[in-house]
Amino acid sequence: MVDVCIVGSGAGGSPIAYELSRAGFSVVVLEKGKNYTEADFNKDELAVCRRDMFTPKLEDEFHIINEYQEDGSIKRYDGREYNWSFWNGNMVGGSSNLMSGYFHRLKPDDFRLKSRFGEIEGANVVDWPINYEELEPYYTKVEQVVGVSGKVVDHKHQEPRSTADFPYSELQTNGVTQWYDKACKTLGFDVMPTPRAILSQNALSRNGCYYSNFCGSYGCASGAKGSARAALLQKCDAKVITDAFVYKLESDGKRVTKAYYYTKLGIKHVVEAKIFVLAAQAIESSRLLLNSKSKFFPNGLANSSGEVGKNLIFSAGGSGSGRFVFEKLTQEQQKTLMQTGVFFNRSLQDWYAYEKDGKSYKGGTIDFLFEHQNIIPRVMKEVYDEDGNLLWGEALAKKVHKRLTQSRVLTFEVFNDWLPTDKCFVSVDSQAKDRWGVPVGVINLYGHKHDLEVGEFLAKKAVQVLKEMGAVEISYDISNAPPPNLVAGGCRFGKDAKTSVLDKNCKAHDLQNLYVTDASFMPTGGSVPYTWTIYANSFRVADKIKKELS
Amino acid sequence: MTFSRRNFLAAGFFSSAVVLMDGCSLFGITTPIDTIRVLEKDLFSKAGALGIETGDYMHIIMHHSRISHADKTYIKNGVKWLNEVAIKKHKKSYTKLSITQREELLKEVVQTEWGDSFLYTIMGYLFEAMLGDPIYGGNNREAGWKWLAFEGGRPRPKEPFL
Repeated sequence: MVDVCIVGSGAGGSPIAYELSRAGFSVVVLEKGKNYTEADFNKDELAVCRRDMFTPKLEDEFHIINEYQEDGSIKRYDGREYNWSFWNGNMVGGSSNLMSGYFHRLKPDDFRLKSRFGEIEGANVVDWPINYEELEPYYTKVEQVVGVSGKVVDHKHQEPRSTADFPYSELQTNGVTQWYDKACKTLGFDVMPTPRAILSQNALSRNGCYYSNFCGSYGCASGAKGSARAALLQKCDAKVITDAFVYKLESDGKRVTKAYYYTKLGIKHVVEAKIFVLAAQAIESSRLLLNSKSKFFPNGLANSSGEVGKNLIFSAGGSGSGRFVFEKLTQEQQKTLMQTGVFFNRSLQDWYAYEKDGKSYKGGTIDFLFEHQNIIPRVMKEVYDEDGNLLWGEALAKKVHKRLTQSRVLTFEVFNDWLPTDKCFVSVDSQAKDRWGVPVGVINLYGHKHDLEVGEFLAKKAVQVLKEMGAVEISYDISNAPPPNLVAGGCRFGKDAKTSVLDKNCKAHDLQNLYVTDASFMPTGGSVPYTWTIYANSFRVADKIKKELS
Repeated sequence: MTFSRRNFLAAGFFSSAVVLMDGCSLFGITTPIDTIRVLEKDLFSKAGALGIETGDYMHIIMHHSRISHADKTYIKNGVKWLNEVAIKKHKKSYTKLSITQREELLKEVVQTEWGDSFLYTIMGYLFEAMLGDPIYGGNNREAGWKWLAFEGGRPRPKEPFL
């Protein structure tokens, strides 16, 4: 029997593995995917982005998606048929290998959303059982251990910090950021460099960023990106078992006793441990609990409250873009625009909270970045003319060449709260099964209209910046489409065992030795990408487990 | 990946015949690769002008485990539909038409939902061949990237995926 068995090796599981194994405890990590190291990663667009080499084939593993329609009906999608994937990185280190590493902390108000902004009809907004001050030391720890680069600037929503600045200086940026900074100054907006989980210099026994020009969606070949694998698992003695799909957790009613897993060949194995930590990504963690029914837990493990799977959330918002064209630029500006490799790294948080028509709103974050450099989608965007007619031949060649060599697109992403509701949750399907014969997860989708209102407000602010910078063809899309890589909730933590799955330390109310440390614990998501908070919370829980085992 | 004769012979599905009908009677047979080679040249002759052969890449697609059976069948069906329109209009398969006839035919089928979708799909694979890593056999000497002043990401793959 090992001390700790962790299901999942991403940002939620790895800090536990790192801390506990370095403290001398025996730790086993069960990971469904393969192990890749820096030497394995390359920038093969076809393999990584067109053939999705890091995620399961949908014919083998998939989800059922039930989308709530405006008329109240439900439309059912089989992920296989609609090519609708909610998988991210199935590999050691999980999707943190493939993240862009836009790292923002939550802010104090994110921990008290209900108290600060009040109830919203149709939404299950609650305060967190911990406050920002309790998580702050762990945000700082992530900066130092995982490695976050950036520059703290004073702005009206800057969260309190226990250190003056980031431990690593800003990454290099493109000269177009000067146009952006000037535009923001004219508009009265606060310029904020985007913190990144990317080392700007050699440190932590890892190489600094080499500015490959292909960061998000790709594994990092230098180790600069603070993936759970590069930053944590490769630096500890935790035993990582790959090709291990955990399909059931067994309990005696009080404690989890065994984790059962299949290899890809369908061979069954079992691991016994004193403590179990579940961190398989929000949807899959709920699925595993719901599939682990027993006489003690007929509705699923740790589910006496009936709350497992409930209040699934994503990051709400959307994205937009504007194009800079050579015709409006000097030769020097054209050269600056086309400089690749270096980052853009600018964010706006001026409206993290705002007043409108006498009412206080929780707003969000806007990140600006150049359009992804993958060349095939950039070309495919050009195959239709303005009237929607497919182009080919010489007309297409001329258009593609001009657009790709004489202009460049700056994009923005809006992050605001996806309100938790009764209509957005995880369940398991009674019929559809994956290649191991295990019932698949059902993603019941619903986005609250309030999310769209906030997203629109923020997008219009981003549009102002693009206009001021001189961009053309400005557009944006705010919708309730769920980003599969920004998912949380399903096992919310709270003080009341009747309305939450986990206690404030992310231990299941129902069991003495089961913790959930991926983004499942989050009752509300904040208005930033989740990864930094997942890391920080997992380091916090690791301290609790360490105390318990000691 | 270079295309050896052994690989070519292994490419049975894609080389296999597509039966073409003229109404209710058998008109003839063709193979998807014959049609797609000509179609891709019609859609984007710039690739050929840059010394890039995009047709062979379709062998990889038709045998790739990451391309679903439904997608492979769709490509084959698209070839069949395109040829059937050609036969109906000119009593000839697509590859036997003149350049002018093929251009007119493309203008006609693109007005249909299936035609627009099929041509868009083929273009996607065409640009994968032309602008993907040269290791897959297209993008000869990075000619596609150079044409667009694009630098591929580093490190480059040492071997093709699958």
